[in-house]
Order: sequence, then structure tokens, then C-alpha cells
Amino acid sequence: MRLLVLILAVSACQSSDVSRQVGARCDTNADCDVKCLPPGGDWPGGFCTVLCDTDANCPEGTRCIDEQGGVCAYTCAADPSCTFLGDGYKCKMVDSHGGGAKVNACTGG
Amino acid sequence: MYRWLSLAIALAPAVAHADQVAPPPVAPPDMSDQAIGASIGAATGGRVTAGGLRVAGHFLYQLSDRDWFDGTAAFTFGGGTAACFRDRTDTFICDHGLAQGDSVELEAGVRHFLGGQGQFWPFLLGGIGLRGVDFSSDGVNGFALAFHAGGGIRASVSPGVAITAQGELELGFGAFNHTLGIEPQLGVAITAGVEFRL
Repeated sequence: MRLLVLILAVSACQSSDVSRQVGARCDTNADCDVKCLPPGGDWPGGFCTVLCDTDANCPEGTRCIDEQGGVCAYTCAADPSCTFLGDGYKCKMVDSHGGGAKVNACTGG
Repeated sequence: MYRWLSLAIALAPAVAHADQVAPPPVAPPDMSDQAIGASIGAATGGRVTAGGLRVAGHFLYQLSDRDWFDGTAAFTFGGGTAACFRDRTDTFICDHGLAQGDSVELEAGVRHFLGGQGQFWPFLLGGIGLRGVDFSSDGVNGFALAFHAGGGIRASVSPGVAITAQGELELGFGAFNHTLGIEPQLGVAITAGVEFRL
């Protein structure tokens, strides 16, 4: 019984806010399901994302922003909303892709 | 004195006959001291536990009236989609699904018959196995120690052949590469098989 509890506890500790689809660190596309925005000023540590034409193409909690032909990024209300992505990420107003409107998204730079 | 001696002589065959009445069997009467078998089914995985099609070979050896040693070589074949990534703290995490990865396991266990009727004999099983696990799409592999516990039922279909169905819980820990280190193993396997008396 203790072994079962221990294994379940360890398993529970491994959950993550990000995934291979959106948010994981990366250096190349092979680190992601679809696309890696390589490490740099705009995407510190690299940022896995998916291509999009509209917000409907993006996973929950993300929106389609106008970068590199349209990629999904986490939406935010203020800088603290982006702290889970690590140092260098802030909540910025960027162009949404396809709609011409502005949207708050977590990016670096 | 003569009367008592005559009574003893008269009753002796009856007593001897009573001694020869066999007690009810506690294990399948058709099961010999050795048997081999094969089984097929499904195993659930997740994270760094391999899951998918489960194929196994068994060697059974009688230990006592109710218990048989069950030596098993089990193979699990799952899918191959990459599911590992680095989170924002640069920790390598694998989030494989229920039917991903491959594994090979050698297991030593005991099958304990609970007593049955006619053709059907339920049993409990427990054991420990050493498995190699591989998720080739992520380049992740390792070795793990897994404890097995479960139960099943054996049904005789002919004097030398029986079919089985069993389910088991598999718990353990393994050591993996890619900075994963020690990771849990947690899964369920449900299989059906056939056994042949040796």
C-alpha cells in the first residue's frame, strides 16, 4: 500500500503547465510536436508552439499571434501571468493573426 | 477377548477403505507438476511505463498442493509517438499515453489456486519482474523492477489443455536516461492464454 501511495505521489509531482505542443523549452523542431521558436530575445529558452490561422487553431489558454505566419502563444492579463514561463517573459500587446486586432500575449524581449 | 478380536478383524477393511477416500482437490486435478503456456492481451502504460499489446510465455512448476511457480517472459508493444519535452525549468518530462513504448520483462511469480469446481479454478498471482523499457521516438530507455499482483481463472478444456484469463496490477520503479533518473512504473495488464501440460 505504501508503495502504491509513493508511486502515485511521484506521478502527481510530474505534471507540467506546458507541453510539447505549446510552451516547452526547445532548440529545434524535434523538441516539439510542431514548431520550435528558437531561443533568443523574443522567446527565451525557446518556445514550442503550433501554427495557426485563427484562435480556433490554438489550444486552450493560447491565441494566434501575428508572428512567423501565425503561431499560438499564451494569453495574459499582466506580467505575473507569464512568470510560469520563466525569466524574460512579459505580458505584451501584440498583433493577433488574421483578425487585425491586438492581444495580450506572453513573449520575451 | 475372542469377541473383541473378531470385531477388530471385521472392521479393519472398512477403516482401510475410509482412509482411501480422496479429499477434494485444492487445485485443478488435470494440472500436472509442469506446464507451459502463452498469453496475449493488453497492458496500460503512461509516462515511462510501456503499454500496448502484451504477449507472454509462461513456464509453470508445482511448488505445493495449491501453488505453482510461474516464470514469465513478457513483451509489450506500443506506439511510437514522441511525448517527452523540457518544461520551463529545463526538467525533462515524459508524458506518454496508455499504449506507447516497448518493454521486455522476465518475471518470477507464484500462482495460488483458491479452490474451484468442475472445470473452473480461480487463482491469485503475485511476483516480481525485471524489465527493460524503450521509448524509441524520444530516445528514452531504462530498466525497472516491477511488482505484480492480481488474479484470474483457469478453465480446463481437455485433459492436457486449459485456457486462462487474468488481470494484474504492476507497480515499480525504474532508472532511465535523459536525466529522468528514478521514475515510477504503474500499469494494468489483462490477458488470456492457453496452457499445455508437460
